[in-house]
Amino acid sequence: MGHHFGAPFHSTLQRRVVTEALQLLRIAEASGTIVTLPIKWADVRREAKLLTEQGKRL
Amino acid sequence: MTEAAESLKQDPREIGQQLRPGLWQTINQRYPSSMITKADYVPLARLMKPLNEARLTLVSSCGVHMKSDRPMDVCHPFGEFTFRRVPSGAKHSDLIIHQLKYPHDDADLDINVIFPIERLQELAAEGMIGGLTRNFFSFIGYNMDPERFEQTVAADIACAVCEDEQADVALLVPA
Repeated sequence: MGHHFGAPFHSTLQRRVVTEALQLLRIAEASGTIVTLPIKWADVRREAKLLTEQGKRL
Repeated sequence: MTEAAESLKQDPREIGQQLRPGLWQTINQRYPSSMITKADYVPLARLMKPLNEARLTLVSSCGVHMKSDRPMDVCHPFGEFTFRRVPSGAKHSDLIIHQLKYPHDDADLDINVIFPIERLQELAAEGMIGGLTRNFFSFIGYNMDPERFEQTVAADIACAVCEDEQADVALLVPA
């Protein structure tokens, strides 16, 4: 909860989630269509830790 | 492998497992009246113009608002029945979250993890989106009277999105 678009300062991932959501406007065939993205929170957490340590944005 | 590494390997967060399987069933049993259920079929509303010509708005239950706005009531047991307009040109430093029902420590560092306002500004500037509405919308998702909520906050936001802001697309984001 509280991280639907990824991790802090991970603008690449945030942008990817937004654009994937907007793609639904084009590809959805029915109301309630759900797309599961191949993104693992465990991976995101590792990248987020690295970003925080580095103190910079991707 | 060291003991610490073995412990990390078994951490469910590290291997992508849900920490408490069945949690949501438990919440549904504890707060049955708080869950909005709709039996009616809602047909798909197709976008009538290309995305790069469409005006987009953002509606979120994350409880973010301008620092200059009145904070929302996060303590009322039934919830808050108002919403806030967030200028679509706002920056992270203009915004604050008043919410007790979800962790927003990371959103306090970067609001875009829950309210991707700066990512949408970039997409609009690049032309992927035709434009943004003047305001986005925010409210507190915790609410124990979904019928009243639907008739007040939800109806008022829907009216503002369609009539005041003339949005073609709404990105709805739960928190």
